[in-house]
Amino acid sequence: MKKMVDLLSSPILVTIILGSVGLAIPAIDAGRREKGRDRNRLYSAIAFGALIVAIGIIIFRVLTGEVLPAVAFSQEVVVDDMFGSFFAIALLIVSIMVTASSWNYYKGRSNPAAYYSLILLSSIGMVVIAYSTDLVMLLVAWELMSLPTYALAGFSKRDPISNEAAIKYFMFGALSSAIIVLAIGLVYGITGTTNIGDSISALANLDASLMPIGLLAVALFIAGFGFKMGLVPFHMWLPDAYEGSPTTIGALLAAGTKKAGFAAAIRVIVLGMFALNLDWTLALAVVAVFTMTLGNLAALVQRSVPRILAYSSIAQAGYIMIGIALAPYSDQALSGSLFHIMNHAVMKSAGFIAAAAVATALAGYSLQNYRGLGRRMPITAIALSISLLALAGVPPLNGFWSKLVLFGAGINSGPIVEWGPWLAIAGVLNSALSLGYYAWIMRKMYMEDAPDMRRVKEPRAIVAVLIFAIVFMVGFGIWYTPLLNFASSAVPDLTSNITQASTITGGEGLRALPGGSGS
Amino acid sequence: MSELLDFVILSMVLVAVGIYGLVVKRNAIRMLFSIEIIANAANLLLVAFSRGLPNAQGQVVALFSIAIAAAEVAVGLGLIIVAYRLYKEIDVAELRSMRG
Repeated sequence: MKKMVDLLSSPILVTIILGSVGLAIPAIDAGRREKGRDRNRLYSAIAFGALIVAIGIIIFRVLTGEVLPAVAFSQEVVVDDMFGSFFAIALLIVSIMVTASSWNYYKGRSNPAAYYSLILLSSIGMVVIAYSTDLVMLLVAWELMSLPTYALAGFSKRDPISNEAAIKYFMFGALSSAIIVLAIGLVYGITGTTNIGDSISALANLDASLMPIGLLAVALFIAGFGFKMGLVPFHMWLPDAYEGSPTTIGALLAAGTKKAGFAAAIRVIVLGMFALNLDWTLALAVVAVFTMTLGNLAALVQRSVPRILAYSSIAQAGYIMIGIALAPYSDQALSGSLFHIMNHAVMKSAGFIAAAAVATALAGYSLQNYRGLGRRMPITAIALSISLLALAGVPPLNGFWSKLVLFGAGINSGPIVEWGPWLAIAGVLNSALSLGYYAWIMRKMYMEDAPDMRRVKEPRAIVAVLIFAIVFMVGFGIWYTPLLNFASSAVPDLTSNITQASTITGGEGLRALPGGSGS
Repeated sequence: MSELLDFVILSMVLVAVGIYGLVVKRNAIRMLFSIEIIANAANLLLVAFSRGLPNAQGQVVALFSIAIAAAEVAVGLGLIIVAYRLYKEIDVAELRSMRG
């Protein structure tokens, strides 16, 4: 018999707060007679406040130790643990940055109420994915995250580019959720349960004749989550969607939904990988190398800054995959992945939001608009430079430390798997390659002159967000231990969880398939 | 037991039909329906498995999945209507303004 979900756990509180505010904003909008110009500011402030309260609750509960230590499995549908809290904090930081910068970016556009409401609803989905320990909850949260972002990507109704981005994103997103339902169906059929922990322990004791179906299910999960994570065979929609969406929504997609995909993947695939067999890791390592190399090579030839950032986010997904591929061999691999996920969330949102500032002030996305930006928009230029250097992994910034942990995991796992160090070498070479196009943007900003070098007024809310990002990137670059410790404490203890989970009786579903009747 | 096998085979045939539609068709609504066929094949699989199992979780997932698919179609058709207003057609091969 399942226990009732604790009403005072973080995921429930966040759902209640963000859900009620997210539904209240359109209601307030419908109730207001006069359609003043300050509507955008009002709703931005309300959404910002709700998100601050939500992240405040989560941080408070982590600091007071009310959340469980990181567990991989639970008998309930959601579990209030450190792993979920870590992702919730990273994802809510992204939502806060997006909401605050929309104060300026979204000024004077249509339907602000729906815009902020959809951002809040999508944030609930992202947060609940990180906490969910049941495939039903995971599916519902996944769709709650995805559906609002399809609408947000196409939010500029009169802009053909935005619509094109939204249709591409929608087609691949809907396909990925159909694939996930199919995978859940197969797992349910061979294990008889939708609880992630139970089904993984049942998969570990799977009848040999059912093994191909188990492998097919894990492959379908990788494909389904891989679409959102932007892994290489499933990445083709990603640059178009990130470039064409409104730029702040590009930040939400690149830094938010992508990280939620990683949360789901770590909950399901990494642990499933343990249960089935370890051969998966080599396949994931190959995917990681292809993902980072293709992302960096394609970024080299782009001329639009959001598109460069989109390809760079494919490359960064490759670095994060290093830690996921090495998870069974090294203790520090998953904490490196989580550390990099948190850093990348801030770095990539800062990059997209700086691009949004340029789009607001200069009405252009191409690299030509960035000439002379160092003098025209000094704070935007310095924030973009720092975020690009952090993405490349230049030493005093936070991106360096997370890459160091990730590549160090690759080298330390050398005695166990011979391809571990090669993964680290591929990562280092790719970081050097990526510096090529990051330096190209910085050269445009500081070394070249625009025809018009007058100072442009920088949007104020965006400047505040960018200053927060600079403080985060430089501060956690110099003083990185608290963040690394937090990331390490959020990693579930894999080996003990597997042994603990396999004591739970599973496998009652084996009889459901013709071949499994003998077990 | 063979009854279950029939449902599984039917479901796999539906998945194949859906993938065929996605690969061959270039009309946005046809592609949307192909995706829906794949999702419904998965629902059929869940319900069929649920019959032979002592719990009803599969039917719960299928119900959630049907409700979600309805919301998804609503959003998708909305986007396609906007595309029709902009381009006067819904051929996805025309959606190639972003390249590189």
